Amino acid sequence: MKMLFKGTEAIAEAAIRAGCRLYFGYPITPQSELTEYMSRRLPEVNGTFLQAESEVATVNMMYGASCTGRRVMTSTSSPGFSLMMEGISYMAGAQLPAVFVNVVRGGPGLGDIQPAQSDYFQATKGGGHGDYRMIVLAPHTIQEAVDLMNLAFDLADKYRMLVTILADGMLGQMMEPVEFHEMRDLRDMPQKEWALTGASDHKPRKVTSFDIDPYELEKMNLRYQATYKKVEENEVRYEEINTKDADIIVAAYGTMARIVKTTIRMAKEEGIKVGLFRPITLWPFPYKRLNELADTVKNVLTVEMSYGQMLEDVKLGVNGKANTPFYGRSAGVVPTPTEVLEAIKKIMVGDLNGR
Amino acid sequence: MNFLNFETRLFVYMGMFGSGKTELAINTAIELRKHSSHVALVDIDVISPYFRSRDERDFLKTKGIEVIAPPGVLSHADLPIITAQMGGYISNPNYFTVADVGGNEDGATVLGSVKQFLDSTDKTVFFVVNTLRPFSTTIDEIAKNVQKLSEMGKVKIDYLVCNTNIGVETSNEDIQKGEEIVGKVSEYLEIPVAFTAVKNEINYSGKFPIFRLKRYLVNLW
Repeated sequence: MKMLFKGTEAIAEAAIRAGCRLYFGYPITPQSELTEYMSRRLPEVNGTFLQAESEVATVNMMYGASCTGRRVMTSTSSPGFSLMMEGISYMAGAQLPAVFVNVVRGGPGLGDIQPAQSDYFQATKGGGHGDYRMIVLAPHTIQEAVDLMNLAFDLADKYRMLVTILADGMLGQMMEPVEFHEMRDLRDMPQKEWALTGASDHKPRKVTSFDIDPYELEKMNLRYQATYKKVEENEVRYEEINTKDADIIVAAYGTMARIVKTTIRMAKEEGIKVGLFRPITLWPFPYKRLNELADTVKNVLTVEMSYGQMLEDVKLGVNGKANTPFYGRSAGVVPTPTEVLEAIKKIMVGDLNGR
Repeated sequence: MNFLNFETRLFVYMGMFGSGKTELAINTAIELRKHSSHVALVDIDVISPYFRSRDERDFLKTKGIEVIAPPGVLSHADLPIITAQMGGYISNPNYFTVADVGGNEDGATVLGSVKQFLDSTDKTVFFVVNTLRPFSTTIDEIAKNVQKLSEMGKVKIDYLVCNTNIGVETSNEDIQKGEEIVGKVSEYLEIPVAFTAVKNEINYSGKFPIFRLKRYLVNLW
C-alpha cells in the first residue's frame, strides 16, 4: 500500500525497516522531521532514540554504538554535518559501519534553510582529515531514497565503511507516494567478527583508528585503500536517460536530475535531444561510463545547485573528450527546467544553427 | 462547496503535520473570495520550513487575498514568528479569514497564544485528516490526535475534514477507504465531517459533501 510521506520521514521509516534500531541526532532544518519521526517510531520497535547535546556528541555516540555491531544512523543538515567531521574521520579510521544522512541546505556558514547541493566536496572528497573515503548515495525521488536505505546499511556492513545519503532540502521536505520494503528480521543481520560484544567466549578485540608506529599505521591505511578499491570496482551506480544519440548530455544528481528530466521533455518539443547522466553513487563516481559517453557528444553539461563541485568529477570522467560547460545556482535558489533549457540552447547555439 | 453555509467568518484549519492544511486553506480563501472582497489568509504555521501559505503570497495577492505572515525576509527565517496584525484580522468582523495552523502539537500550541482573539470571534475549527499519512492511519491514532491538538490549541474541534490522498497517484478507492475511517472517527468523537477534499481531476462522490481542490503548492518540475 502506498502512503504519502515527506522525504525525511520516509528515510527514517526505511532505515528502521532496514534494521536500524539506534539513532542519535540533533535537530536542524530542513531535516528535523527525520529526528522527530525517529523519536516517535523507534520506541515502538524497541529501538533507542537519543537526542544528543550537539552534532559532536552525536557522532561520538555513533562511534560507540557502531562498535557493538548494531546498525546505527544519524541525520543532519549542512552545518551539523560539518560539526561531525572529526568523528567521521575517526569512524572511517576505525572501519566502523554507519549511515549518515545529510539533507543539504544553503551555505557556506549558517547559510539558509533552502535546498542546495553545495556539500558535494565535503561528502565525496573527505571533509574530515586523513586518507579516507565514504560511500555517497544520491537519491532523486523519495521512493529511491527509501530503496537506497537498505543498500546503504548493507554496503556499510559489507565493507565496514561509512555511507552518506546526500539529499537536499527539497527531497527532505517534499511529499510523495511511497511503498516500503518489509521490515528486515534482526536475526538475519550480518554477523560481525570484529564487534565489541564482550570477550567471554573469544579473544579481546580492538576497534581503533590509532597506531603510534608509522609502519603499522601505514598497513592500516593500505587495508583501507584495498577496501576502497573494491568498492570502486563493484559499487558504481548511475542512471542514463536518452543518452543514445543525444545532441547533448547533462550530468546532474538528486533534485537537480529531477528538474533535468522535465527539461528533457521540454527540449524534445523543440527538437533538441537531451540525454541525462545521473550518478547515484557520487563516490565511487561513475567515471568509466561517463568517459564512454563523452565519445558520443560534443558537450557534457553539468548542472548543480552549487557552483561547480560535481563538475570536477565530470571533467575527470570526460577527460578532455568533450566540452564540459557548467550551469548552477546556489544558496537555496533552485534552477528551473526552463533555465536549464536556456543554458542548453546557449551552449548548442552553433550546433542548432547548423541544422 | 459553499463555505457561507458554515455561518462563520473565521475558518481555522488544524491537523497533523502534512495533512494538507495549507492547500485547503488556500483553496478555501479563493472560494470565499467569490462571496466577499475582504478575504485574508493568516499563516500561523511555525512548523514547516517549506511549502507554506506565505510562499504563495504574491499569487494570492493577484487573486485579491491578503496573506498575513511575517514581513519580507523574516518570512524565510527559521523562527516561530507570529505577526502582530494577526489578532486584528481574526477579530475584524468585516473580513472572512482563513487561519492556516502549523501541524502537530507544536503547531497547535500557537493557537493558545491568540486565545483572547479566538474566543471573541465567531469561528469554526476544522481538523484535517489524511489517513494515508504516518501516525494517522487508524481510528485510534486519529482520535488521539484530534484530542491532543484540541487540548494543545485550547480550541474545540467543530468539524473533521477527510483529505485522504497520496498526491497525484490518488485513487477513488483510497478516498473511499479514507471516508470510512474518518466516518468512524466522527461517530466515536461525535464530531461531524464537514466535507471530503478531492483533487479537481478526480471524479468521486461518496458519503460526505465534496470540496474540489486545485493544487497550488506544486513542485518546480
